[in-house]
Amino acid sequence: MEIIAFVNNKGGVGKTTCSKLMAEYLSKTKNLRTLCIDFDPQCNFSHQYLRMEIDPAAPEGLMPPIHPDYDPNDPDDDDWDGRSSISEIFYGKGVVPYPTYVPNLDIAPGHAEKLLSAESVRRSEVVDKVHKQLASFLNSPDVRAAYDAVVIDTAPSKGPLTISVMKAATHIIIPSVMEEQPVQGIYGMLQLWMQESLIREKTRPLQLVGILPNMFKQTRLHKDILTSLQGNSAIGKYVLPVKFSQRIVFAEVDAADSTPRSIFDFQEQHVAKSEAMEVCSHIAERIFA
Amino acid sequence: MTKKKRFGISEALTRGLSETIHVVENNTGIFRNVILPLSRIELDPDNPRKLSIDLSDIREGIRPEDPLYQQKSAELERLKELAHTIKANGVINPVVVYKLGETYRVVAGERRCLASILAGKQEIEARVFNEKPKGFELKLIQWVENTAREDLTLDERLGNVRDILREYLLQHGEVEVTATLLKNITGLSLSQTTYYLAAINAPEDVQTEIQNGNIRNLDKAALIAGISSLDLRRQAMDACINGSSLKEIRGIISQNKMLNKNRAAITASTRGRNTAKINMGTTLNADVIKTIIECVVAHREYDKYLSVFTQVNWMDLRQTTKAFRKLIELMEHEMVV
Repeated sequence: MEIIAFVNNKGGVGKTTCSKLMAEYLSKTKNLRTLCIDFDPQCNFSHQYLRMEIDPAAPEGLMPPIHPDYDPNDPDDDDWDGRSSISEIFYGKGVVPYPTYVPNLDIAPGHAEKLLSAESVRRSEVVDKVHKQLASFLNSPDVRAAYDAVVIDTAPSKGPLTISVMKAATHIIIPSVMEEQPVQGIYGMLQLWMQESLIREKTRPLQLVGILPNMFKQTRLHKDILTSLQGNSAIGKYVLPVKFSQRIVFAEVDAADSTPRSIFDFQEQHVAKSEAMEVCSHIAERIFA
Repeated sequence: MTKKKRFGISEALTRGLSETIHVVENNTGIFRNVILPLSRIELDPDNPRKLSIDLSDIREGIRPEDPLYQQKSAELERLKELAHTIKANGVINPVVVYKLGETYRVVAGERRCLASILAGKQEIEARVFNEKPKGFELKLIQWVENTAREDLTLDERLGNVRDILREYLLQHGEVEVTATLLKNITGLSLSQTTYYLAAINAPEDVQTEIQNGNIRNLDKAALIAGISSLDLRRQAMDACINGSSLKEIRGIISQNKMLNKNRAAITASTRGRNTAKINMGTTLNADVIKTIIECVVAHREYDKYLSVFTQVNWMDLRQTTKAFRKLIELMEHEMVV
């Protein structure tokens, strides 16, 4: 089971879009049993597949809807309120992934309030637990038996949630817009990658698949920054040779009532689809080769 | 016309990115620093430092019937001093351990561990290796940690170097051990490694004095080890034991060298044409000739020639030469008669 995470502590660089495309590529075209995990308190990734609800306890936050398998009359579900998010791992409860409209694709959604409280822990012994929790969940035999791939969307932060992802992941990809501030976000992620790499056992290293140029426009700014990253002897080999262009269609499929719902359901010759195929197949080849 | 704008990432950011990547590429999965409970730490029985005191002595006290009671008590006293500073400042450098099942085994820093227990600490900062370092690396880490220590004897230090070399040869096959190789392994200077090798390969009598703690200085040990003559070596060792400085020992050796050289000079080579007569050689020092002549005429048989030489001006090289030739002539005459 490969655990792929999209990370960058700069917001708005396309972590969610990339996560979504990768998860759909793996499940739809590669027929891999894929689990999406939304580790961002904003819960945008979850919203792609579920009708997230407003949390009455925290008006600004979203929470997962009632799970389709929940049966209030079933005694087995007695101690369950019918909602399940990935943040249950911090509360010692089981996670019940939700099915999506894609047959091979499940999602463990976020829960804003619970993720935020995990992100804000400061006491060292609690932080340590948060760091390890996702890895121990994903290493459990049940999860490993049920999925071939896990795709994690992360919060734009370097806090406990992101570190937790670093500890759990087998591969990370850093999407970035080719502009100064998002590139600084790359640095933040490389720091976390370094900290994790130094303490990992050599036999299971945290692989940096690469830096994925995203929302690329054929402007001098984007081209120059991409060229200077590629030209650097250390960084160059980690800049992926594929990129996502700035296309409004990537945002349009995010709308709840869009048809088709996935880029991969577009016609074969659609420019956005062929770009997504190119990028995702390149990344998948690196990971699953 | 305005210049076309060019963009790039800042120099500082580029440097940060490349440095981080290099660190990861070169150091993946080597070690991590953690706080460990002291209760899960145990000592490495193969550590080159031969402390006789162990964990149970610290935890339960030294038993009076212990055969090593005296030695252990002395060690305990020294550990208490370290414990005192640990109480005040904590352990500054993390100890080095590797994981062995449920416990951690000390690679380097056993005195710090023992003293921390004495200081009443529950935890210690440690650098944890995920697996037991290979023999050679293990010895090397212990070596590096120990070179900073001043209380190791020369014998213990040489023992460490021997251990390192043995492990190195085990791992890399039999290769010739040179000072350069040892330098590359340990990071010491070439002169230091040359001394170490000389001392390690020293003749047995020198080794014995090192083991007995009579030779405590590496430079002196290396110098004495290089002496091939048994007598001279003994002489140099005695001088060393009696507190002679390195310079004084060198003096003894160079003096001896001169004597040896003179002895060797008299056995002439047999090459070239047969020698039919004796060449008396030359000198710039007229006093040499004056001394020879005075010695000869002081002899009772030749004192009759004393008057021949009384008028010679010994400052004049020409006169001196003439006087010497005269002496040879007179002596040849005497021998014929």
